[in-house]
Amino acid sequence: MSKGLNGRRVLIVEDESLVAMLLETILEDMGCTPVGPASSVDEGLAMATDAPDLDAALLDVNVAGRQVFPVAAALKARGVPFVFSTGYGEGGLPDEWRGQATVQKPFTEAAIRQALMAAMGVAEA
Amino acid sequence: MKELAKSGDLSADLATAFDASPNPYVLITPDLRIAGMNDAYLKVTNSQREAIIGQPLFAAFDSGPGEEAPENVRQVKASLEKARDTRQRDHLALVRFSIANRGADGQTVFEDRYWSATHTPILDSDGNVAYLLQHTNDITELERLRRQHGLGETETVSALDAMIGGNVLRRAQLVQEDNRRLETERNRLIDLFMSAPGFVAILSGPNHVFEMHNTAYGNLIGRGSVVGKTLRDALPDVDGQGYYELLDRVFATGEPFEGREAPVSFQTSADGPIQERFVNFVYQPIRDADGQVAGIFVQGNDVTDSVLAAQRQKLMIDELNHRVKNTLATVQSIAMQTARSHSDPATFAVTFQARLMSLSHTHDLLTRSHWEGADLDEVLEHETEAHGHHRVLANGPHVALAPAAALSLGMIFHELATNAAKYGALSVPDGRVMVDWSVSDSPERRLSLIWSEVGGPPVVMPERRGFGSRLIERNVRHDLAGDAKLSYATEGFRAEISVPLARGHSS
Repeated sequence: MSKGLNGRRVLIVEDESLVAMLLETILEDMGCTPVGPASSVDEGLAMATDAPDLDAALLDVNVAGRQVFPVAAALKARGVPFVFSTGYGEGGLPDEWRGQATVQKPFTEAAIRQALMAAMGVAEA
Repeated sequence: MKELAKSGDLSADLATAFDASPNPYVLITPDLRIAGMNDAYLKVTNSQREAIIGQPLFAAFDSGPGEEAPENVRQVKASLEKARDTRQRDHLALVRFSIANRGADGQTVFEDRYWSATHTPILDSDGNVAYLLQHTNDITELERLRRQHGLGETETVSALDAMIGGNVLRRAQLVQEDNRRLETERNRLIDLFMSAPGFVAILSGPNHVFEMHNTAYGNLIGRGSVVGKTLRDALPDVDGQGYYELLDRVFATGEPFEGREAPVSFQTSADGPIQERFVNFVYQPIRDADGQVAGIFVQGNDVTDSVLAAQRQKLMIDELNHRVKNTLATVQSIAMQTARSHSDPATFAVTFQARLMSLSHTHDLLTRSHWEGADLDEVLEHETEAHGHHRVLANGPHVALAPAAALSLGMIFHELATNAAKYGALSVPDGRVMVDWSVSDSPERRLSLIWSEVGGPPVVMPERRGFGSRLIERNVRHDLAGDAKLSYATEGFRAEISVPLARGHSS
């Protein structure tokens, strides 16, 4: 169904284990391989820099009280597409990152699939 | 002059000159009593010096009977008071004021007279008003001339009549009255301006010199008088915030400017720190008669309190939204994971609801402390009390948990207790659970907790790791940066949990 995402390695940065588990389940259902999850900005930054063969990332905006944007910048520098997940509304993103693919919590599988595809520039098969 | 004054000759000379003058003069005290007058005055008013000296002016001269008399008195009185209060000379161009005349039969008759009067304040050495000098010109003859002419055969209106005739007289009176009214109005406007709750200031010229400002403006800028100073001299601490340039532009272009919730930082008291205030304001150009911008009218309100309240409210709503959305995502995860291990909707509902209630209980505990935290033994008791107090034996020191740790441990205790009730020690009447914990301080503050089950059925290693055990391991490692070890010894299930207590986590 979502051939374009099959076998993709997707980094998860999310401080809440239950939400991370949900994302893992959703990604596995789509045929992706979850990487992480990272529970802090520092951990996320290390993975964004060092994890091999990253195809995409799902980034919680507020990670344990810190904003995830350094991780986003590292991914951007590496050319890895990413999707923000946030409980804040549209206004939750600073100007620099506005327009970036975003999913709102709580999320559906379809929303995550669409956002990932949009970020990766993959057409639905 | 000085020598003359010393010898007293000057005052003698002045008094003589005063008396000899053909012009009528009267000296009036600030409370409007007659203090002195010259002969000419006595003559035109048909009065005796001893009869009127020391008398209140309007007791001695009340303009007689007639409808207009009180109005005539009022006009003269207003002019005198103005000269006294402003210390400036005041003119009454034309006023009708009747004078008493003793007729041949001894009856008092009032004669209409028309006057022009000048009131000059005379100041003492301290600059206070000592006397008011009234100089009157009797212009009644002009009026008589007009009347005689009017009594003539011809009805034609002559130039003279037109000049000093009734219409001119009436018009002059009206103009004079209008001036008085305008002045009253102006004074009232100044009062309003000064006591207005909003701040008001008038800046004059291209350098924005403070011409006047009201009390609210003074309170806003919190410094001594700035009247007469340029804006840049009066408010040097506002430099670099764009306000000088804004005023320069309004002055140059004549375009008004309106600012809303504009931040401005300055010292709000003489030695105080720089503070940020928020203001709504208007810069309105003031134009002179030629249409050139002569100054700027500044008017506005300090809206700092409402701006700060709105900021706080937005922050709280954002934070609330974030928490609610995160909690919903957590509940979504619990629902999804629970659904995967329950094909029967009835058992799904029971398990899902129990997990939801567990989460809700911990929320209750945290709400009680305004989300500052919860005690470990309270969290444990909340999650296990359904199985009986005597069956779960808690043993450990008092430990205050941060909100994130309380929420995590609440869910973990719920999963452990549910599992024990289903397969472990709490599934048989004699089974017990011992929960022992301790806190070590080195190298970091760390909680070590052991959940061990005794007296239950022989433990069988589960074929598949269920949601409960995955949740415990993941939660401890991921959310609390700790370690969890679950062991399935035959004599009893055992969980060892070790978490740092210092780590701050947001939920």
